[in-house]
Amino acid sequence: MVLDQDLVRHLSETSVSVELETEDMTLNIGPQHPSTHGVLRLVARVDGERAFDVQPVIGYMHRGYEKLAEVRSYPQITTLVNRIDWVSGYANEVPFIVAAEKLLEIEVPERAQYIRLILTEMARISSHLVFMASYPLELGAPTPLFFALRERERVLDLLEGVTGGRFHPNFNRIGGVKPAYGSGSSTRKVIQDLPAGFLAETRDAMDKVTVAVDEINSLVAGNEIILARTKGVGVLPPEVAASYGVSGPNLRASGVGFDLRKVEDYLPYHLFDFEVPVGENGDCWDRWHVRLLEIRQSVRIIQQAIDGIPSGPLQAKVPKVIKVPKGETYVRAENPKGEMGYYLVSNGAQGPYRLKIRSASFSNISILPWILEGVLIPDIIAIMGSLDFVLGDVDR
Amino acid sequence: MTSFLTDLFSNFWVSLAGKLLIVALMIPLVGMVIGFAEMKLSAKMQARVGPYFAGGRWGWAQLIADGVKFFQKEDLIPAEADRPVFKLAPVLVLVSTVALLVVIPFGPDLIFRDLSVGVFFALAISSLSTIGILMAGWSSANKYSLMGGLRAAGQLIAYELPLVLAVVGAVILAETMSMAGIVEAQVSAGYPFVIFQFVGFAVFMIAALAELTRIPFDMPIAESELVMGYLTEYSGFRFLFFFLAEFANMFTLSAIAVTLFLGGWWLPGIPDDVLAYAGPLILVAKTFLLVFIMIWFRWTFPRFREDQLQSLAWKVLVPLALANIAITAVFKVVLG
Amino acid sequence: MTSSPSETETTVHPLQEFADAVAGAVGGEAKIAFDTVKVRVAPEQWVSALTTARDELGLVFFSFLSAVDWSAEVEVGDPPGDEVEERFELLAAVGDLGAGRRVIFTTDLAKDSPVIPSVVDVFPGANWHEREAHEMFGIEFVGHPNLANLYLPDSFMGNPLRKSYPLLSREVKPWPGNVDVEPMPGGDEETTEGPSEENPEA
Repeated sequence: MVLDQDLVRHLSETSVSVELETEDMTLNIGPQHPSTHGVLRLVARVDGERAFDVQPVIGYMHRGYEKLAEVRSYPQITTLVNRIDWVSGYANEVPFIVAAEKLLEIEVPERAQYIRLILTEMARISSHLVFMASYPLELGAPTPLFFALRERERVLDLLEGVTGGRFHPNFNRIGGVKPAYGSGSSTRKVIQDLPAGFLAETRDAMDKVTVAVDEINSLVAGNEIILARTKGVGVLPPEVAASYGVSGPNLRASGVGFDLRKVEDYLPYHLFDFEVPVGENGDCWDRWHVRLLEIRQSVRIIQQAIDGIPSGPLQAKVPKVIKVPKGETYVRAENPKGEMGYYLVSNGAQGPYRLKIRSASFSNISILPWILEGVLIPDIIAIMGSLDFVLGDVDR
Repeated sequence: MTSFLTDLFSNFWVSLAGKLLIVALMIPLVGMVIGFAEMKLSAKMQARVGPYFAGGRWGWAQLIADGVKFFQKEDLIPAEADRPVFKLAPVLVLVSTVALLVVIPFGPDLIFRDLSVGVFFALAISSLSTIGILMAGWSSANKYSLMGGLRAAGQLIAYELPLVLAVVGAVILAETMSMAGIVEAQVSAGYPFVIFQFVGFAVFMIAALAELTRIPFDMPIAESELVMGYLTEYSGFRFLFFFLAEFANMFTLSAIAVTLFLGGWWLPGIPDDVLAYAGPLILVAKTFLLVFIMIWFRWTFPRFREDQLQSLAWKVLVPLALANIAITAVFKVVLG
Repeated sequence: MTSSPSETETTVHPLQEFADAVAGAVGGEAKIAFDTVKVRVAPEQWVSALTTARDELGLVFFSFLSAVDWSAEVEVGDPPGDEVEERFELLAAVGDLGAGRRVIFTTDLAKDSPVIPSVVDVFPGANWHEREAHEMFGIEFVGHPNLANLYLPDSFMGNPLRKSYPLLSREVKPWPGNVDVEPMPGGDEETTEGPSEENPEA
């Protein structure tokens, strides 16, 4: 983790000339603003175009999930939980269900784990495509938005075909995934598997996503203006990132090759061959580039998973009324936005005693006061966009 | 009948009224056509369809519908705003665009008024819009508008200089500042000035994009940062004035570029009597080519940051334009 | 995902060595349950334990800081089944950036005066987490630069995540408690919970 000293940004060296006394202005960016990814409010003290004290104000979207979780049962909490980071809906459910399964000490069937993995990677592609769409828009280039969202429609259609929901799949059940029921009473007991043609269509969609990602890359990567706006802007040294809890692509862009998919066992990632893209400088350009490379790696994982998916049951045998025995555990997962973890304290009831949700964007934007010190206003937008957060993830 | 019309229009006041009418109609028409072109072209570039419903399948009536919509909106002026300045700002911007049309030669004898200092007049009048934008930003009583106005002031003043310096090369080659005279010089020389003035042409086009505050130079508007910059508080027909002024200004600045560098209404190989009628069409065709390039740039590039924008103007464009002038002058003196 | 092996006296958990090393370095007691290492320290050792973890044990990644309110009587949800000691259990999860090992440090705070030194100087990321714990539980962090409310409006009274804080909707309709699954309106019970080939009862 050797850092190029030229790129470490120092505190603002604003000097006000002696003859001209200028006043600083307090500018409110948000909560209603095109670029704050939701209702985030930044109270910035600016001197001309340079901001020297930016304080985020959050909580406009606080829904009290941790308190609500204490009065809900586990399947009900699955519904709550996929609304945390709504851009990558499916990925939020998985660590929570895995935590409950750990306390129950049941083993999830292989096929269900593969399906969970495929859907999680599709959620990752979906989330990163939203980033590809919105980040150039904030820099002023409106066109990649349409290319990226068009590809995202393919992935969302696939997700809808399997789970019934584009953004809030609610597909996990304790012990596996939800098998589909036939409709009507005569077929009520028949348990169906993945929809017919899902695997073939996924393969097809992955090819198209690869082509589209290459298109977006060619539109953006060689563009001098985008490089001028993002290279060297918002440099985040890895030590600072780690001490603030910044995780996910933001941390990897700073040069730290740490990916929870390689070290944690919540899903069988060890069966697949994929790389972890790492950036060099930790600036906005690296954060963009790492996410682009991650889409390609996700495509690779999905293709391997489709080729190797085993047959079998979709859910382990679980009692009808699930009571998770007493215990505490912390399960964390590599969500598209970063590390998402659930600290589950159970007392043998139908719902948890305490559920602490560690969301990625909360820690990712706690770094804003540090990183936005002495930065020009257009760069505020560029840096905020490159951190890729969602307010539901911040406020829960 | 024809002699009656010729006698009628030889009267100064009648012809003046006629010219005013044509100019007044041209601006909204040109604005709407270019606006519609932008909507459709940007849609094609983004895998969309663009306007579809207004006026049948093509959606050609979209901008007419938009114009009517803007007119019937409530006239909102912020409570803290400076009312006279707020109301005057869009008018000023529109006036500077309209006045530019006066000196553009549409054909061999088709020019509203051939001023002997036509180039000077055109550039001077086009910088009036800077004041209009500053007025808009200041009077809106809104921090975002103020920031947009200040950014606009810095940007527009910075890019005036390359704009002016770039045309000096063409003026040197033509030995006259009258716009009609410059086209005549290209006709008699047999080639459009862009062949030798390509640097001047490029600098002029970039500076023109900056004067129009279009992407990549749209920091003053910067939709994703300042909501709409200096335009934030404008709604209804005042916003329509700004909107039309932008598109019409695209046309007029491109027309000036065509006149100075691309040969105006002239195409080699076309006999003179045909040019009297085909001249305006040729000019409009060339202008629309440049407008297309402007639209293309807008939807491809992101925007420059303010300091990058300024360093581009002062460190790159101005020295290039100055070098262009020097080299052109040397060649003119040496080669005659 | 592998199911965690039951802890028996003869098999050593793969994380045991790591847990003992951590506990030894900070002077606390380690417990491993369900693949999670928890090291309990006394409140006086809180800051020094985290500093040691960061400097000597390589646990430089700050994950989260939060608390659990252990109460025998609760306003919302089900009360804890067994006897619990009334306390706030403060948690801080840190991890390393290589092998991905993580530790949750815990300490116990008294309910009537939950005061503990802030760890903002050790991990700057704790700033917002401590603000959240302060407004949700009422824990006082000594030395925190700005202990203002993070999510809730300034005029908010009470600490929502305490077990003594009621939910308005539960005032209207009380928590059904430890009962069987409620029947679907108009349907039968078989279509409510997770299906399996055979349905063994709870």
